[in-house]
Amino acid sequence: MKRLVALALLLLAGLTGAAAAAIETPFFAERVATGKLPAIDQRLPEQPRVLDMQSMGRIPGKPGGTWRMLMGDQRDLRMVTLYSYARLVVFDEKLQLVPDILESFEDQDDKVFTFHLRKGHKWSDGQPFTAEDFRYYWEDVALNPKLSPTGPNVALLANGQKPKFEIIDPETIRFTWDTPNPAFLPSLAASQPVYIFMPAHYLKQFNPRYAGKDDLAKKIKDAHVKDWSALHERMSRQYRPENPELPTLEPWRNTTPPPADFFVFERNPFYHRVDENGRQLPYIDKIAMMLGTTNLIPAKVASGEADLQARYINFEDYTFLKHAEQANNYQVELWQQGYGARAALMPNLNAADPIWRKILRDVRFRRALSLGINRRDINRVLFFGLARESGNTVLPESPLYKQSYADAYTNYDPAEANRLLDLVGLDKRDGEGFRLLPDGRRADIVIETAENDTVDTDILELVGDDFAKLGIRIFNHPSQRDAFRQRIFSGQVIMSMAEGLDNAVPTEKFEPDALAPSAESQFQWSRWGLYFESGGSQGEAVDMPEPQHLLDLLHDWRHSTSDAQRKTIWDEMLSINADQVYTIGIVNGTQQPVVVDGNMRNVPKSALFSFEPGSFFGIYMPDTFWYDVKSE
Amino acid sequence: MLRYLIRRFMIMIPTLFFTSAIIFTVINLSPTDYFSNYVAELQAQGEKADMSRVEFLKREYGFDKPPVERYFLWVGGLLHGDYGYSFEYQLPVKDVVGDRLYLTILVSFSTILFTWLIAFPIGIYSATHQYSWADYGLTTLGLLGLAIPHFLLALLFMYFANVWFGLSIGGLMDPQYLNASMSWGKVRSVLAHVWIPVLIIGTAGTGAMIRTVRANLLEELQKQYVTTARAKGLHPFRILIKYPLRLAMNFFISDIGSILPSVVSGAELVAIVLSLQTTGPLLIHALQTQDMYLAGSFLMFLATLTIVGVLISDIALAFLDPRIRLQGGAR
Repeated sequence: MKRLVALALLLLAGLTGAAAAAIETPFFAERVATGKLPAIDQRLPEQPRVLDMQSMGRIPGKPGGTWRMLMGDQRDLRMVTLYSYARLVVFDEKLQLVPDILESFEDQDDKVFTFHLRKGHKWSDGQPFTAEDFRYYWEDVALNPKLSPTGPNVALLANGQKPKFEIIDPETIRFTWDTPNPAFLPSLAASQPVYIFMPAHYLKQFNPRYAGKDDLAKKIKDAHVKDWSALHERMSRQYRPENPELPTLEPWRNTTPPPADFFVFERNPFYHRVDENGRQLPYIDKIAMMLGTTNLIPAKVASGEADLQARYINFEDYTFLKHAEQANNYQVELWQQGYGARAALMPNLNAADPIWRKILRDVRFRRALSLGINRRDINRVLFFGLARESGNTVLPESPLYKQSYADAYTNYDPAEANRLLDLVGLDKRDGEGFRLLPDGRRADIVIETAENDTVDTDILELVGDDFAKLGIRIFNHPSQRDAFRQRIFSGQVIMSMAEGLDNAVPTEKFEPDALAPSAESQFQWSRWGLYFESGGSQGEAVDMPEPQHLLDLLHDWRHSTSDAQRKTIWDEMLSINADQVYTIGIVNGTQQPVVVDGNMRNVPKSALFSFEPGSFFGIYMPDTFWYDVKSE
Repeated sequence: MLRYLIRRFMIMIPTLFFTSAIIFTVINLSPTDYFSNYVAELQAQGEKADMSRVEFLKREYGFDKPPVERYFLWVGGLLHGDYGYSFEYQLPVKDVVGDRLYLTILVSFSTILFTWLIAFPIGIYSATHQYSWADYGLTTLGLLGLAIPHFLLALLFMYFANVWFGLSIGGLMDPQYLNASMSWGKVRSVLAHVWIPVLIIGTAGTGAMIRTVRANLLEELQKQYVTTARAKGLHPFRILIKYPLRLAMNFFISDIGSILPSVVSGAELVAIVLSLQTTGPLLIHALQTQDMYLAGSFLMFLATLTIVGVLISDIALAFLDPRIRLQGGAR
């Protein structure tokens, strides 16, 4: 039924799209007039994606202008890919999967996926985007041992098996697995998507299967690379758009070859989205990305050098930014950060020290620490009371949220905490009243953090006062991020502090991998995670019942066939995590300042700012943002 | 003299060899490498690093080979002018450094000129008018410049340059000129910005140089030949220029050795604070991200310049000051 409604809506959208005649964009008027570019009708697919601004609560805009943004280094080029958020399928603001680059898709029991491309859809260089681009990726990249030494991306494997790939016609392709692959569609819609298509017509010149031998040899020599695979890899990066020649389907395409400190992106003349009036999106013509020292970015933003900026500005810059709001004609909005916790203590269940490991694995110890933190004071002192005192779990914005997850062991109860600590074998104290480990050492905890984030240090200062009342002293040891991780991975760290769940607004369609020991980067059980990631060749096997159960549940989710089943699995995993307090969340829902130019329209006043889901600005579709200025 | 030169050249070879070995060892001592660093940064934001791509890159850059072999690959490359690859930029190091080198040289040369133009007259004046009010005043000013940390001065300047003159914060030109080719507008924009770093980096150097010029000159001025010259009625200015100043210049020539590398590296700290498009921030960033060939080759380049600079100053000194000449004819 649902699917039928969706189809009907889609048809309706298609009809309205056909109704409004496409309007030429002034930015391209000259190029069209001189014949360098075909007219708008020939540039758009037959069925563009029509965004009805009115029904989205937005104002249909007019084209023009440059979006200036400030970034740190060349790696940040990927922010444009994130902010653009054009994917085969995308999550809408209600976190429902909708087709975007695809015209439509069919999903049979999560085993057979049929994708329908938009007829007449073109790459940014004007060449047609067809099933061949998917075939090229699958046969010539994913299955090529030189380009993909470890095989196709895991999202393309269900139970370790590769799919059957078929081309039905130039606009239709199908992936078929024997077992369900529920993670497939979300991975295509992810902020960092799995790309299953590549511009074949462009990349074939770097592939010896298609390119002339001498021609390719010359290209390899000119680029100073070892062989064709290195050249192909460099030229084909879609996520980090470094290569200005690489055709794209995104709203803006890079025009500056690196290295540079200033990158200019220009609107893609063949972009597939239009508004209800027939104006091709994006409204904004250009993006100007300036690279520089990140510590200077708040000051530069305050002097009006960015039009829409959130990266590299923090809550502590808020008052400073607010101060110059009038003078430089911008507004500072506060969005909500999407982490499960702004800061969470992560007891290392794989700590190398056997005495500590035994204590950290005792759930009563973890609950005691959680009960011993005065979250209210931390919220008031450091976040003006604007954050939410909560465990490390999903946010209320997620359909999977339950109050009990957020509240589990987060009430401040030092008496109960002391009672629990006495029970876990920390009942002996030294002359100064600090607790002793069973082997007579003082139970001092060194809490390691990455970089010197001043907020982390401040939180730990307050937590330290709270823990002193439990007879435990803590010390903060900040180190460079990479070294910090290596120390955790090797088990030298007893406890660390980091952000909580990366995706704290999931629906049941997202894979619950962050809730089970499935990755080395999970600091509370990194060696178990590594064991899972490496398929058992590295790390340690899980040797506790509850984490093993979480892994089984993750396995069940990967073989699940219905949303109801997935929801049950999520519920169980969330409640186990809340009850077992594997990570001790302190506050979440902290604020992210977003600076918006005074003339920019359609930017939400308040929203969720998160990498996953949402691609930071991406889910709010920056291609619909526009400048309300009198035309020159 | 010739034998001396040849010997100096011969010593340069093992020195450079040892320097390269030390640079490579220190960079490789870190338990982490560029790739683990890269993965760490991605995952800090919740991004997944594509491990097959990381594997691919590791293999491409020979990280599967033992360090000794990698060292010789690197040094072998350096000998043919191949500085290796930057992982971060995915480009040859030469291309990455590119334009930044010119801007750095511009900033550094302007700074050196600025320092000399200010420091020499003041130093000479202070020495000839020792313990006068002007001497005290100018010395205090110079010491203030020496004592205030660069980066603090940079922050203050940047703030006021923005508030009073409306200059964009940091950088060496207005953003619209960054990728533009050379034009009058660009030159003007660069000139409008370059004075801030020049003034900031210059203040400390000026303070130090005033004191050195003054001290060296004072020592000479108290010598008997000066007294004699005065007694004979020579014009004070002519006395000053003819001998004491020339002798006081020795320190200045021996300083060339350290000037050469600093012209290329620029003042790193100030460059970072001011977000200048010079080589300093590039080097620091390369060291932070463990972009080892970029960092290593750059350090090697600086080491070479230092050694060449010392050689030049030694030769120049030997030519200019007969007392220093090692195998001079007159004994």
